Amino acid sequence: MANSTFLRFLLLLLYQYRSKHAGIAVISSLIVALLSAVLFISQSIQAETALQLKAQPDFVVQRIRAGKRIDVPVEWLEEIQEINGVSSVTPRVYGEYYFSPREEHFLLFGVDFFDEQSSKAIEKIVQETDLRKFLSKEQMIVGDGVKKFLQEHYYKGFYNFKNPDGEIIKVPVYSSFDKETNIISNDMIIMPMELLRSIFAMDEETLTDIAFNVPNEAEWDNVLTKLHLLHYDIRVITKEEITKSYHNLFNYKGGLFLALYLITIMTFILIIYQRYAMVAVGWSIKDVLKLKFFETSIIVLLSFINGVIIAYCYVYLFDAPLLSNLFLGSENLSNEVAFMPVVDFGLLGSIFLFFGIPFIAAVLIPVWKIAVTEPKEAMK
Amino acid sequence: MSEIFLSNEVLIYLLSESVIYVLILIAALLSLQLIIKWDFGSYSEIQFTLEKRAYLVMTIITFAFIVKIATLPYFAYGIDKLSDLVPGAMCASGVIGANEYGYPLLGLKIATVFISGTWIIINNLDLQSPNYPFFRIKTGLFLLIAILISIELFLDFTYFGNITTTKPVSCCSVTFGQQGGSNPLPFGLDTAKLLVLFYLFYFMTAISAIGRYAATGFVANILFLVTAYYAVVYFFGTYIYELPTHKCPFCMLQKEYYYVGYLVWASLFSGTFFGINSLPLKWFAKKDVLYTYKFSLFFNTLFVLLVSAYVLVYYLKNGVWL
Amino acid sequence: MIRIKNLDKIFNPSTKKAAHVLKEINLQINKGELVILKGVSGSGKSTLLSIISAMDKPTSGEVIVDGKAVSKLPDIHASHFRANSIGFIFQHFNLLDELSVKDNISIVLIPLGLSIKTVDEKVQKSMELANISHKADQQVKELSGGEKQRCAIARALVNDPGIILCDEPTANLDRTNSLHFIELVKTLQKMGKTIVIATHDPLFEEAGFHDSILHMSDGELGEPK
Ligand SMILES: Nc1ncnc2c1ncn2[C@@H]1O[C@H](COP(=O)(O)OP(=O)(O)OP(=O)(O)O)[C@@H](O)[C@H]1O
Ligand SMILES: [Mg+2]
Repeated sequence: MANSTFLRFLLLLLYQYRSKHAGIAVISSLIVALLSAVLFISQSIQAETALQLKAQPDFVVQRIRAGKRIDVPVEWLEEIQEINGVSSVTPRVYGEYYFSPREEHFLLFGVDFFDEQSSKAIEKIVQETDLRKFLSKEQMIVGDGVKKFLQEHYYKGFYNFKNPDGEIIKVPVYSSFDKETNIISNDMIIMPMELLRSIFAMDEETLTDIAFNVPNEAEWDNVLTKLHLLHYDIRVITKEEITKSYHNLFNYKGGLFLALYLITIMTFILIIYQRYAMVAVGWSIKDVLKLKFFETSIIVLLSFINGVIIAYCYVYLFDAPLLSNLFLGSENLSNEVAFMPVVDFGLLGSIFLFFGIPFIAAVLIPVWKIAVTEPKEAMK
Repeated sequence: MSEIFLSNEVLIYLLSESVIYVLILIAALLSLQLIIKWDFGSYSEIQFTLEKRAYLVMTIITFAFIVKIATLPYFAYGIDKLSDLVPGAMCASGVIGANEYGYPLLGLKIATVFISGTWIIINNLDLQSPNYPFFRIKTGLFLLIAILISIELFLDFTYFGNITTTKPVSCCSVTFGQQGGSNPLPFGLDTAKLLVLFYLFYFMTAISAIGRYAATGFVANILFLVTAYYAVVYFFGTYIYELPTHKCPFCMLQKEYYYVGYLVWASLFSGTFFGINSLPLKWFAKKDVLYTYKFSLFFNTLFVLLVSAYVLVYYLKNGVWL
Repeated sequence: MIRIKNLDKIFNPSTKKAAHVLKEINLQINKGELVILKGVSGSGKSTLLSIISAMDKPTSGEVIVDGKAVSKLPDIHASHFRANSIGFIFQHFNLLDELSVKDNISIVLIPLGLSIKTVDEKVQKSMELANISHKADQQVKELSGGEKQRCAIARALVNDPGIILCDEPTANLDRTNSLHFIELVKTLQKMGKTIVIATHDPLFEEAGFHDSILHMSDGELGEPK
């Protein structure tokens, strides 16, 4: 392989033409950084949602009238409990509370703190809460986005909800939950069910929907049929559907790829320069090619490492300003999220493969040129 | 369009495959022209142009093949990733079996990589001598590979296009598990006999490599490849997973097992690749291509040590066999 | 020894632009011999040199160097032949301007896979021979025409070739430098190198190389005077 004189000459060339090489390395690093940032973000979001979804109930049952969701009567609870194979049936009461001046909303989630929770995420929050203290008066637990929002609007540890009749209900904040796992629940508020009913002026005998699990996957179709036989106006949302819609949402952003790809190719076309003089003094096309290959490889490798490190810092240390908006949408409450670092070698492989193929094309082009030019040209 | 195409890995994979295919297609058209008009004895201008072009074609092909070899593990990785999206799939096994194109595609891929490797070696031999002695052989072989790669690309798109995300698939526990007590091993072998054969065939490949018996090595490596596949799936795999019922060639590619599957399969394929190739290469070059023996011995030994180590370490840690 | 047998070169054969540049060339150049090819521009001198060095291929005929037919070698082997047996001095020097004299000279040796020590020794020796070692670390673009020439000569000598081919070596030099070059040719001759020079510079006749001159016109080789 590369003997030491070859290596010395290679380094010499890199050094002599350093401004050109540096230019290429900078552009390439930026492309890799952008590409890696996009992949890091979507990978983290996917991992995060996978975690979240694992905590989701298998089925959610709602009631539909005229195409719109309406509240479910409590009697449905017992009917569902009677279906074979069904477990952790949970009544859920929640709703979106609009903060009209800013067109923003919180998700208010009512919890029966003494019941079994079908959502593992909420189960976890309930377990971490000192219930006696929490339930001693009407209080709420808020997501990180909500906490920030309240601080920005000068609410010191409480918020004044208005019920539909215009009465003000003042609710103090008991605690807030973790920033690390807030991609979905950033704008959520957890409170006792009765409090939530009073804020939305809901009927005592109704629920927003009912969640439950069916541990045996083979039973899913069966349960689905039974539910639809039960009521004509029932809507069933399965975990599977949610999983897929999330997946697609994040995969669509991959459309950025094609554009990036073109830029990459353009960069590498820049690397091509001819050194025919060497062909005349005893170098074969193979030697020229070897030189070009290593020259380009060094630049590619450097740019790759650089780009990945830049992207890593950008996404995981600085939480990806600008790009994260693209992925999470900016219409909702604060989107400041902490991405969990999820980097595996397959992801790095993706980046390298994507980056490496234009590189191959770039090394091949000089061969084209040499192959179509007379070696005698070198004499002129 | 299937939503599978939106997965990052699938997108990158198909894009790479398509770019490489364009290169292969150009090289194939040029090769066709080369093989028809080639006349090394001739001093005509055309022949000189062809000789220069032959060098170009050879370079394109070498690069394309190297990328193809690199995309094989990436394909496995992408498939594994898809198991999140395909209901019922826990690992690549479920996804690859999601439709009838999966296993033919995987088989074709491995075959293409094997033959491409052979081509690269023949090409190097050809460049070493001053008169292109293997020109026709390697060009013919390349055209054959080009046809295989065309089928492969077609299967790539058909396979990914036909994975549905609604129909549940069955995964490794069904595909490789014992159904109703029937024996999944061929020729009515049991595990003990399988292991005896495994080490016996390894021993044969090692002897053939050391003694440079190309023909024996050819047979021994084929037998070893087949036995090793069964041995990994039905015996060594269970030690990698530390679960006697977990039988799967794919799950070991996952992070939970430190991606060891890539090393396991890569070492097995490399070792048997060189072992099998000693014979045809000796036949072409009319002499032993020495490094094929060395690499065969090295990779086969690496493979055997690796899988055996899993069993031993398990035994040392737990004091029992699975 | 170089033997050229029935060498023909036609550019673009069987087209309108067909040019019959070399016609039935037969020539034998013995080891250690000096041959000067004289002829007007376009007579085919450069083409002949490029075929001898296996950079171009003949339309028919053969070039045999030290018993080996070189006109039909694939690229890698042709380059090998050039790297081991031929030193070429070009009219326009063909140096890489950004690199130093030393590095330009060492380029030739890189594909040979020698150790750094051997390479440096060889480079030093050939620089001394060509009288350019005092400029070893200077960039080529900062050199004068004569110095560039000497750098090119050092490069041609560094692989210790048996055959040295020069294409218009004095075309870009003033009289003093041309005379220096001629002195060097004499030295090389004494070292036993086979030398072929293509030129129309009358200086070579003045320098007493009468016996070595071969006349070329319109692709045909005349008898030595
Ligand atoms: N690649 C080519 N295609 C077509 N014609 C060519 C080619 N190269 C050279 N020729 C022609 O061949 C003839 C001889 O060229 P050559 O360069 O050998 O001449 P020369 O004797 O070296 O001339 P000069 O003294 O000007 O260097 C010229 O008429 C030139 O036009
Ligand atoms: Mg000329």
